[in-house]
Amino acid sequence: MEKKLNDLIDKALSRRQFLAGAGTTAAAALVVGCNSSTTTPSPTPTPTPTPLNLPDNDILNFALNLEYLEAEFYLYAATGSGLSTADALAGAGTTIVPPNTVAVPWATPAQAQFAAELAQTELDHVRYLQGAITANSGTPVARPAIDFTFFGPLAAAATIVASPTFNPFADPNSFLVGAFTFEDVGVTAYSGAAPLLISNILLSGAAGIQATEAYHAGSVRTQIAGGAANSGDATFLNYANKISALRATLGGGNETQLSLSSIVAADPTNAIGFSRTTDQVLHIVYGTGGGAGVSKGGFFPNGLNGKITTTAS
Amino acid sequence: MATLETQQLDEIIVKTRRKMLTMGGAALAALAFGGTTKAEAQAPTTTPDQDILNFALNLEYLEAQFYNLAVSGVTIDQLPTPIPVAVNGGTAGTVTVKPSPKVPFVSSIVAAYAAETATEEGKHVLFLQKALGSVAVSMPDINLLDSFNALANLAGIGTSFDPFASDQNFLIGAYIFEDVGVSAYHGAAPLISDKTGILPAAVGIHAVEAYHAGLIRTVISAYDGGVSTGPLSTITQAISAARSTLANPDPKNPITTPFTTFAGLTADDQGVQTTPVSLNGSSTSPAFTASTIGDTDLNALGWSRNTTQILAIVTGNPATATAFTGGFFPSGLNGTIS
Repeated sequence: MEKKLNDLIDKALSRRQFLAGAGTTAAAALVVGCNSSTTTPSPTPTPTPTPLNLPDNDILNFALNLEYLEAEFYLYAATGSGLSTADALAGAGTTIVPPNTVAVPWATPAQAQFAAELAQTELDHVRYLQGAITANSGTPVARPAIDFTFFGPLAAAATIVASPTFNPFADPNSFLVGAFTFEDVGVTAYSGAAPLLISNILLSGAAGIQATEAYHAGSVRTQIAGGAANSGDATFLNYANKISALRATLGGGNETQLSLSSIVAADPTNAIGFSRTTDQVLHIVYGTGGGAGVSKGGFFPNGLNGKITTTAS
Repeated sequence: MATLETQQLDEIIVKTRRKMLTMGGAALAALAFGGTTKAEAQAPTTTPDQDILNFALNLEYLEAQFYNLAVSGVTIDQLPTPIPVAVNGGTAGTVTVKPSPKVPFVSSIVAAYAAETATEEGKHVLFLQKALGSVAVSMPDINLLDSFNALANLAGIGTSFDPFASDQNFLIGAYIFEDVGVSAYHGAAPLISDKTGILPAAVGIHAVEAYHAGLIRTVISAYDGGVSTGPLSTITQAISAARSTLANPDPKNPITTPFTTFAGLTADDQGVQTTPVSLNGSSTSPAFTASTIGDTDLNALGWSRNTTQILAIVTGNPATATAFTGGFFPSGLNGTIS
């Protein structure tokens, strides 16, 4: 009985964090408020037997939107075109890219190989999630409308000076900054979502994707910081850190400024990777701060597809 | 925009978890963990969270010792800010390593990476010790000398290998550990029963191990100019093959996940190499060549290994063995999972 209650509370806590997006901060604030008025305890509410967790498929579809964004970005960078019609699924939105976008003009084979790895792995994630959702008796959402010209306003908002039309497809270094924009967000999104999955099989799958995102994030950060050290030119390192600062503003902190001696993005006290709620992730990819009710913008001009599309905080 | 449901949930949470929520992450994990052991008997078929965390702590002792010896030349208990190796009245094992193991780093970049990783693995040791509290295990015997020689033999890269000899050798030494750490935390995550107190921390450490692994594999690839037949890349391919051979087959856990690497090899591990990919599948697209910075399967998912498979790799035994001593842990691991 006690275990059942504990489980229920655990689920309630997960559900609350997931809905509100503010993690334990909001709940802690509520706790403080409660402690200050302990002389007038309110009646204990009766827990309802209603299932409290979000269905796994809603979480997976949220992740699928992010994978569409990444796959589309890397495919354009590597090949000059995006997802095939079959991979984008019926009813897919359109993708806007800067005029005359072709594959990034790579300077070395290693750069092209890395972009091809990113493109193929993110495409594999799209297909994996589509299959996992279908196998879990759900319906995978189609690719939503995506706008990569948002990199321009994003760069301006990040105060990357003299780059109001920042184009991540323009050259290899700009591409790395574009990849940087997405990869750490992917890691934190999976860190936040994985523990909420009820199915241990799906949890393992999400952890597997998270690992790949972190491998790539570690590589992107290494290449940016190492490139700056080798060339003596910190231009793109500074760009990355301005993007990082903007993400921190939009996405509840959870950032580590990049330097040669600080490659990993993690909590400095215990070296544990950051985690973001869906609200925090939405604020970043929509490029819009503030609180509840943000439902589209930035890279997703029509919002995400699926059930998790609008911020609750 | 609090909905009725969130308001109701808030009330439930506040009523029941106010004490936990006012505590920090590590304390929260420790409390949730303590509550589990005191209030609930674990079902016999599940692995208690404390056993999993202690298993992870053994691996973090190993990584922290390796990196700190490489950077500072001393074991973690001899650092200016010492990290305990004997806890809860236990006795620490000994670390066997060559004299003066401090790596003569030539590249300031590699030295910086080493220093960062050393610091972060040390923090993982401290975090797990704190989360485990009174049930944390001490450091077991660790061998960083004969273990590398034996592994070199197994991988067919020579009769001896000194990971402290040079920048490049250090990178190979690091390579040996990081991907294993990623697969160990991945395998452990679904086993953790406390999904709010402990699982998020395990997932977070999992991410950091993969950041480290991505860093190491990127630098190795850069040394070889992205050429998959380069000297360092070739060694990583041999090490990955050796790890896969040790970890498989595991008789207790038949292979159910795709046993094919992203690069198409039959294994649960892939080195730094290249592989052809079709990308968006257009028939008009030219063939593309991808790197393998990620150590992933054909679905581009990181590998998951169970504790038996990890024990096999770190002790240098096949997964079919009945006892796991040797390799990096000459006396085995401390704790229930050993």
